[in-house]
Amino acid sequence: MQPVIDYLPLLLQGLAVTLKLAVSTAVLGLVLGLGLALAKISGRGWLARPAFWATDFLRGIPEFLVLLVIYFGGTQVLAQVFGPGAPEVSPFLAGLLALGLIFGAYASETFRAAFLSVPKGQVEAGRAYGFSRWQCFRHIQLPQIWRIAIPGLGNLWQGAVKDTALVSIIGLEDVMRKSQQAAQSTREPFTFYLVAALMFLVITLISMAVIARAEKRAGRGMAEAG
Amino acid sequence: MTTTGNSRGAQPALEVSGLRKTYGTQEVLRGVSLEARDHDVVAILGSSGSGKSTFLRCINLLETPSAGELRIRGELIGMTTRRGRPAPADPRQVDRIRARLAMVFQQFNLWQHMSVLQNVTAAQIHVLGRSREEAVEKAEAMLAKVGVADKRGHYPSQLSGGQQQRVAIARALAMDPEVMLFDEPTSALDPELVNEVLRVMRGLAEEGRTMLVVTHEIGFAREAADRVMFLHDGRVEEEGPPREVLAEPRSERFRQFLSGSLK
Repeated sequence: MQPVIDYLPLLLQGLAVTLKLAVSTAVLGLVLGLGLALAKISGRGWLARPAFWATDFLRGIPEFLVLLVIYFGGTQVLAQVFGPGAPEVSPFLAGLLALGLIFGAYASETFRAAFLSVPKGQVEAGRAYGFSRWQCFRHIQLPQIWRIAIPGLGNLWQGAVKDTALVSIIGLEDVMRKSQQAAQSTREPFTFYLVAALMFLVITLISMAVIARAEKRAGRGMAEAG
Repeated sequence: MTTTGNSRGAQPALEVSGLRKTYGTQEVLRGVSLEARDHDVVAILGSSGSGKSTFLRCINLLETPSAGELRIRGELIGMTTRRGRPAPADPRQVDRIRARLAMVFQQFNLWQHMSVLQNVTAAQIHVLGRSREEAVEKAEAMLAKVGVADKRGHYPSQLSGGQQQRVAIARALAMDPEVMLFDEPTSALDPELVNEVLRVMRGLAEEGRTMLVVTHEIGFAREAADRVMFLHDGRVEEEGPPREVLAEPRSERFRQFLSGSLK
């Protein structure tokens, strides 16, 4: 136990980085996903088509590859544009962009399906009562979309939490990397990887409970619906 | 223009003239006109495909008319052409007009994620800009009027079709509309639930509400309407006081229609 207690502050620092990355990924992904979904259902080809292309592209290549392209490729591009002394892409920023883009691509499909499942009459009633398009979106569509999208988004969140571990490979000081360092210096890989696993498990179990609650809350009035 | 006691009645609540609607090459409405003054109850009859629902939906611009004029209390709805198609000139005018023409739908279209009370307060708050207290007070009065005050905390999915439609009527009433538009309000209901909705609508007609009612209920047209309008193939085939036109239809089609639905 002693080595675990000694390394605990370090591991907790890593945990904070992991959480920070996961939360920022989800925020970026949700915004991006909603935007892409709106583009796809806009009915305007010039807006919808690129959104579908981007989604298919991001979903069709390995996440790890996206990460490497942004981290190493991004740094290379910056160096070519700004010359010597150009800023480098930090592991955190690369992780956020890569995971956020991928989260957004998947989330856009979740949102799109949810949008299409809201009956037309719901929006029509809003329009008939003088709601503007934005008010219809805000007060009628969005609350109903959430209800349908929450389970899918919950899965994406769980995936994003676990995918943060990938970013340790390019040097992010997250739980994964900290536990690796501890495992190497103490020569107790089993103990420290187990501790890391437990930390991930705590995050995902808590999120599952939160998602279940949110699902129940958003499902008000839907219990008896067919 | 405002709707104070003075201006109300000076101008017809609703004037429609020469309304046309085409989908591609198909002409659904071929020049329909209608004037509704305050307290008028107009029943709009017609077989399916006659254009009667489209006519009602053109009045609050859920469908954009291809030609013709619409005036609400004298105010002309401005139309323009966008990408070669007719479109309302000012979306804000449309939103404003719609709030004055509350609609009751065949499928109720209550907002599923809102309680009964929220369904009746939402447009009052977000569209009319009423305070929450004012909206709740109004909603409670209207829910009591249609006999569903005890359901205020329920969600639409927990109510019968008849109860949902009565909530939808309360939602319309709460807007203090100039004209109420009913689009086949009893067609989606089980037969035993039709009467509770018709009873509420009769009460509104007696109260002097201005109503346009697209319906298959000849009985309602006979007893509650001041005027019956029979649409066929996008045209007004027959129009007049129910006692006259229902008893002695001049048009052969209207006679066929009536004998079919009076069976």
